[in-house]
Formats: sequence, structure tokens, C-alpha cells
Amino acid sequence: MLSIKDLKVSIEDTDILKGINLDVKPGEIHAIMGPNGSGKSTLAKVLAGREEYEVTSGSVEFAGEDLLELEVDERARKGIFMAFQYPVEIPGVTNATFLKEIINAVREEQGKEEMKAPQMLKMMREKTKMVDLPENFLKRSLNEGFSGGEKKRNEMLQMALLEPKLAIMDETDSGLDIDALKVIAKVVNEMRDKNRAFIIVTHYQRLLDYIVPDHVHVLYNGRVVKSGDKNLALQLEEKGYDWIKQEADAVSA
Amino acid sequence: MAIETQDKNISRFLTLFGEFERGLNGQKESLAHQIRQTAIGRLQELAFPTRRDEEYKYTSVTRIVTQDYDLNPSTEIAPETVDQFRVPDLDATTLVFINGQYREDLSDSDAMPKGLRMLTIEEAMNDEQAKAHVDDLLTSAAGQGDDPFVVMNAAFAQKGYFLHVPKNTVVEKPLHFLYINTDQEQPFLYSPQNMVVVESNAQATLIETFNSTAPGKAVYFGNLFNRMIVRENAHVHHYKIQRESLEAFQMNNTEVYQYQDSTYSNYTIDLGGRIVRNNLHTIHRGQNVTSNMYGSFYGRRDQHIDNHTFIDHAIPHCQSNELYKGILTDKARGVFNGKVMVRKDAQKTNAFQQNSSLVLSDKAVMDSKPQLEIFADDVKCSHGATIGQLDEDSVFYLRSRGLSDTKAREALQNAFLLEVLEFMPHEAMRNYAADQINSKFAEDI
Repeated sequence: MLSIKDLKVSIEDTDILKGINLDVKPGEIHAIMGPNGSGKSTLAKVLAGREEYEVTSGSVEFAGEDLLELEVDERARKGIFMAFQYPVEIPGVTNATFLKEIINAVREEQGKEEMKAPQMLKMMREKTKMVDLPENFLKRSLNEGFSGGEKKRNEMLQMALLEPKLAIMDETDSGLDIDALKVIAKVVNEMRDKNRAFIIVTHYQRLLDYIVPDHVHVLYNGRVVKSGDKNLALQLEEKGYDWIKQEADAVSA
Repeated sequence: MAIETQDKNISRFLTLFGEFERGLNGQKESLAHQIRQTAIGRLQELAFPTRRDEEYKYTSVTRIVTQDYDLNPSTEIAPETVDQFRVPDLDATTLVFINGQYREDLSDSDAMPKGLRMLTIEEAMNDEQAKAHVDDLLTSAAGQGDDPFVVMNAAFAQKGYFLHVPKNTVVEKPLHFLYINTDQEQPFLYSPQNMVVVESNAQATLIETFNSTAPGKAVYFGNLFNRMIVRENAHVHHYKIQRESLEAFQMNNTEVYQYQDSTYSNYTIDLGGRIVRNNLHTIHRGQNVTSNMYGSFYGRRDQHIDNHTFIDHAIPHCQSNELYKGILTDKARGVFNGKVMVRKDAQKTNAFQQNSSLVLSDKAVMDSKPQLEIFADDVKCSHGATIGQLDEDSVFYLRSRGLSDTKAREALQNAFLLEVLEFMPHEAMRNYAADQINSKFAEDI
């Protein structure tokens, strides 16, 4: 589904990613971990289409297409969803209007007709309940005045409504209390199926207690320095990142 | 006959007045015409403002006053055309003006809102309740006015109106002045003149909408004058939604005199016009007065939209709220000059003012000038002006969910202006204003 080959990325002449290789198949959950500044958030942002990053070499293929050639909105319509680390507050655009527009934008891409209002409303209400937000929240402005937890739940709501092929979660768990964390895990676990993949970028192992990944990769200094299964995450929890850094530094020295 | 004035552009209008008089024949002796003559006498003593005048530093009227205008444009229009400019779902009494001329056959003149008296200026001068107000209008606006556009309005107004809302009367239905302007061979001048007196404990809503059947090219000049007297504990909502041709001019003078415990709320949406200038002025004549001014504007191409407001706090315990938000793109220019005067005796004044603008292109310009002059010492006044661009993080966020770049930007611009509409109490007007703003984004002329 997603194939990243030797991806090198820099921002303002500083190399951040120095040759990333990653292969994500449908149905898989990949966790990307790593210390601060390792490049894991950059990877998520490049996949989502942020323009300030310069791809200096390598390729990213998504469902047979050159992902790097697609605009951010095209990526979204083709089934990539990015849950933001810091969702933006947009006063004046209500959640309901926004959700309706994005659902129809994606449907249009898939050649489906616009969803009828009653069906739309029913679906929105169901999913709003699923992410544990009150119904009146649909009438509020997008993320405006939301707590950190509410913003992340709103990201999950959008993900649940858009049903992407590939969801990238950029430190969605950072700063969340356990209740919000459980909501995130619940949504991911409910949406997990053989045709959908997730890339979960996280600093902490805690989220992985609730979402069991198929693969865990550790990023350090712009490279994947270690890959393994869920046990790697447990190891990191126990021992921290220092041993990984030492191993990696020894190799490159 | 050669007429001597200091300003050759004034002469142009004196000559035009001569033509106008010749067309009047028998009506020259009428009272209405005496007002006009007083006004034209005064106009001779005045000059049009230039960019050297502080109040017109950012707005040049040259383009407006160097045209030769026709005073008798055709008033032909298909009724279906009129219908497309009506405000959907608005239960109002609508008066239709085509190129400034009243069209009774298209209006609801037989269904005036209950409680509202509407007289022509002529009738008002012979009316016991109205006479004093009209006399006052004559002396201050026509005879002694300093603003040439106000004076010129009095000189060229063909049929002014006097609206009277008697004491304790709540006029449920809004009165809607629907102006529709068409494309004529020669540019024309129209001069609506409205005098509104809302007596104590009364309440009324006045709506003005301005439209063009040839929004890309019709040239004409609307020179408007409104004077409102809002007596004790009276409440007035006043809407202006302007979608004139992008080649048209509009000068809009509104003076509001407010008495104790009264509220006047103005909602001004400017989307059309080549050069638009609003002078909105409230004068406080009693305590506990509230003045609300909410405006939004969107300028593109060569549009120039100037909002000048003046709130004169002369009495203690009064409030004013002012919020203007605008978007400018292409080569458009916007001006906001919000003057708030808090005189020495106006203790306990609460004055709030905010002007925020988005400037979306390199060549678009916004000049914002909040002007607070405070001479009292126990007051709460705040003002702010921001000029910025669309937040690119917000654009990215919306796009990351599948909205195209254009749609994302539209949604954000819309949201920016929508804040102003939330203050409008009439749902039909709020929806209409939102629709007009939306269609402005899609405008392709």
C-alpha cells in the first residue's frame, strides 16, 4: 500500500530524514517511535504533504501512485488521513458544515453522489458518540476553544467519518489523559481491518498497550535504526532510548 | 449663465441643476423645490474634498465628480428581474426603486407596516408632527451643511421620504428599500433622501439593499442621505447590504441622533461598487444610549471601500460597539476610519471598537485608522486594528481533509466575515447577507 524508499528530506538546508525505507501493507499497524528530534514527526508531515519540507531524494508510492506528486488535498481524497499533533482552531467554520464538506469531497473522488442530509446527520451523531463527544459539539466552531483531548477526539471523529485507506497519527497520544487515550485506541481498533493501514507516530509506549502494532520501528537521527514487533516497544519502555542511540552511534562511528 | 465657484467640479453639478430645474416646469414654486434651491445655493460655496483633506486622505472622489450624469434614466425593468433581487423569506414591506426612481407598481405601497407613517417630504412639511423635523433638515443639511455630498443630496433629491413611527409603536415588519440599478448609456445620478423619526418606546427595522443588473460595467452614482432620530427608549435596526456594479459609485451619509435609553444598530455589508464611502455618524443626546455598528466588506478588482464612522459620546453612561471586518484582494483598497469622541462630561462611557482585515494580494491595500479622542477620565474604551493574511496552517488543515485549495480559502474567508453577521437579529437578513458574501467569492466578472 505504502512503499517508502531511501527517503531523504531536509528543511532549510538541514537534513532531517537521511534515507528512510518503510513498507506498509494493507491491514498492518506500524508504530514509529524514537527520541525527540529523530525525524518521526517530519516523516508524518511529509507523507501528509507539508510543503516546507524538501524531498532531496527517494520515493514514496501509495497504492501504485507517486505520492510526492500529489497535492495535500489530493492525497486526502485518495484515502490518506493525517491526525495532527496540533489540530488547528478555525473559528466560524462549524464542525457539522466542515464534516459534511469533507465527507462529500471524498465521496466525489470515489465517484459517489453526495450523501443525503438525514443519513449524514445520523452518521455524524453515531460517530460523535463513538468518540465520546457531546452532540452539541457539532454546532461548535472547528476546534475553537477545545481542550487538547477534545481536539484529538475530533481528529478521530474525522478519521472515522472519512474511512481512509491509510491513517497517519502524528503523536496523537501526546498530552492525553487515560480516558482520551482509550477513546483513540477504541476508534483505531474498531477501524482496524484487512484493507486499512495505520502508521502511529508516538513518543510513548503507553498507547501501544491499547493498540497492538504489527511492526515497531525506531527512528534515530533521520534513519530507521531498529525494527521489530510489539516487544520492541516494551523494551523501549523499560530501557529508554539510550541503548538504541549507543548502538546506532557505534555503527555510524 | 456663468456660475462662479471655486471648484470646477461643483460647477458641473450647478449646470446639471439648471437642466434639472428646466425639466420641472410647474413645480418650481413647490416647497420641495425651495429646499433644493437653498441647497444649490449652499453648494456654490463649497468644494469637493481632495486627498489633502484629512477625512479624504485615503479616498479620492475625483472619479465620482468628474462624470457627466443624467438625472432621468429609464426606469424600465422586467418584473422577473426585480424578483431575483428580493430577499428570500423576508416578511417585509418592500419599496422598489429602479435607477433611483420609485416604482409604485412593483412595491407593496398599499401594505405599509402597521404603525409606520410614510410621507413625502412635501407632505411632511404640511404635517404637524413632521414639520419641525423637516425644517431642521432644511437648515442643517441643505442650508448650512459642510459636506458637499450631503448638500448635493438635498439639491437633487427628487422625492425624499419622511418615516414616522409614533410613540409606543412596535413596527413588526421591516421596511425594505430595494434599489435596483440598470446599465444606461449615460451614467446617472440618484439621490435617495430619507428622514426617519422613531418616537419614544417605539421600535422599527429599516433595510436598504442595493443591486445592479449589470454588475461588471454599469456606471452610476448613488448619493444617499439618511437622517434618523431615535427618541427615548426607542430601538432601531438599520441594514445596508450593498451589491452595486463594480463600476458604480456610492456616497452614503447617515446621521443618527439618539436620545436617552435608545439603541441604534447598523449593519453594513459592502460587496459592490467602484468607490464606496460610508459616513456613519451617531450623536448622543441622552444617557444610556447604545450605538452598534457592524460592518463587513469584500473588495476585489479596483474596488475602493471606505467606512468612516463617528460616534460622539457627549453624555455619561453610553455604550458603543463597533466591529468591521473586511477582505481585500486583487488591487482593491479598503479604508476604515473609526472616530470615537468621548467628551469631558461623558463619564462611564463604554466604547469598544475593532477593525480586522485580510489582505490577500500584493497589490491590495488596507488603511485602518482607529481614532479615539478621550476627554473624560472614568471610561472604558478599547480599540484594535489588525491587518493580516489567511492563516496558512488553517488552509493546510482544511486541505488535509480533502477540500481543494480554493474551497479551503473560501471557507476561511467566509468564516472571517461571518462573525459580523452573527450580530444581525433577523434570520432572513443574516442568511441573505451570507448568501451575498458567498456569491461574491464565486463572482466572475
